[in-house]
Amino acid sequence: MRDFLKSTRFKVLLGFLAFLVGIMIYAVTKGGYSVSGASFIHSLTKPFRTASNGISMRVELALDKLTNANDYYKENQELKAQIGELNKQLADYDSMKTELQELRKFVVIKEQHEDFILSQPCGVIGYVTNDPFKSFLIDKGEDDGITPNCPVVTPEGLVGITVNVSANVSTVRTLLSPDLSIAAVCSASPADTGIIEGDILSSEDGNTRLIHVSTENKLRVGDLMVTGGTSGLFPKDYPIGTVKSIGLDTSGLSVAADIKPCVDVTRLTSVIVITDFTGKKEDGADEN
Amino acid sequence: MRIKTPREKRLLYFKTTLRWVLYYAVIFICFLIMVSGTWLKPILLVPAAIAVAVNNNMYASAVTGAMCGFLIDISCDKLFGYNAVLLAFFCILTTLLFELYLRPRFANYMLITAVASYIQCRLDYKFYYQIWNYANVERIFVKYTLRVWVYTVAASLLVYLAVWLINKLLMPKEHLTIEEAIRIIEK
Repeated sequence: MRDFLKSTRFKVLLGFLAFLVGIMIYAVTKGGYSVSGASFIHSLTKPFRTASNGISMRVELALDKLTNANDYYKENQELKAQIGELNKQLADYDSMKTELQELRKFVVIKEQHEDFILSQPCGVIGYVTNDPFKSFLIDKGEDDGITPNCPVVTPEGLVGITVNVSANVSTVRTLLSPDLSIAAVCSASPADTGIIEGDILSSEDGNTRLIHVSTENKLRVGDLMVTGGTSGLFPKDYPIGTVKSIGLDTSGLSVAADIKPCVDVTRLTSVIVITDFTGKKEDGADEN
Repeated sequence: MRIKTPREKRLLYFKTTLRWVLYYAVIFICFLIMVSGTWLKPILLVPAAIAVAVNNNMYASAVTGAMCGFLIDISCDKLFGYNAVLLAFFCILTTLLFELYLRPRFANYMLITAVASYIQCRLDYKFYYQIWNYANVERIFVKYTLRVWVYTVAASLLVYLAVWLINKLLMPKEHLTIEEAIRIIEK
């Protein structure tokens, strides 16, 4: 061992380790962008990852059907009951729709979200290995106009934010992550505001948390939470999720709620990135 | 050492090249398994790097360790270079241990893989979760870190078999002179 420590071989290996540490430090200074080595490996492995992920998802789906047959049967029964309920609501909805169409004649409706600049639809290449908060990779990057801290959405609602952008691959941090905080407003009672922030316990069930809500709130289970848009990181009034349960937080000074996201982030196949919108803060990186 | 004929030399180069191509094919397959699907998966690149380090020289082991580390960084979305430093270090240590103290046996490989993999998982938990003081962070350790470690140790058997097979078929054998062979027999 002593001979080894005095040998040239040891010095060369020490130099090599120092070189690797140098790469690591350089990666830290890139501020959200991948280093060119990572970018190259991403580009090289992208087609293989897409193909193998496709196969794996199909195998998982097949195994899932076999192992969870009882759950699916139970879920099927529940869904049948739910369909009956929804059919009743549909009848009410039709009458309301007719009424609404009448009202629309008198209201000038501005096209929703016309200020958004959207990316091309992005395919989900795969999920980050063993990430409890379901971060995933999309097949668009810097070359497609995506920068770090762009909101990622589907038509149903907000998914997360881009965090690590390569030339043609980006990593998306989902709203299940405790590292992402979003100012949220209740659509039914706009005075009720709070912060949506992931939580380890909630993320196990695919939910996120609404925290710092005033004790004098009018939140109800089923209320839709939308983005507040105050940070400049997310556009205003985009759906996030519905309130699942309400209670006091651990300090007892404010109210917290479990939020079921509008989008199931665990099984995504494609998303869209909002590259620009009215009120976007350019140095929004500090806000999340 | 016996003088090799040009044909033997060519065969040696061919076998060595093919061996390294197959090592990296195994590593690439491990990477693809790691990045596919949504379930918890073993960090297969740790046992792969160590299996290569057991029977090869230190420089090659260090480079392979670094390569596997970079691939882990990409698949697990960690700081680029973090796992490269860690695995390069583990591989150098593994080669050194097998050169000086240990025999290239399966039990020794499993022991080193279990320890290295645990350290890798533990440090990952420490730096990416525990240090940030998330509420209920210990659940990540129990539900993710420990399970991934167990999966990794279990899966290392398959990785070992693959690398063992490559070594058995393509690892160059020592050529001894008749005098050396007699000396060994006499001992």
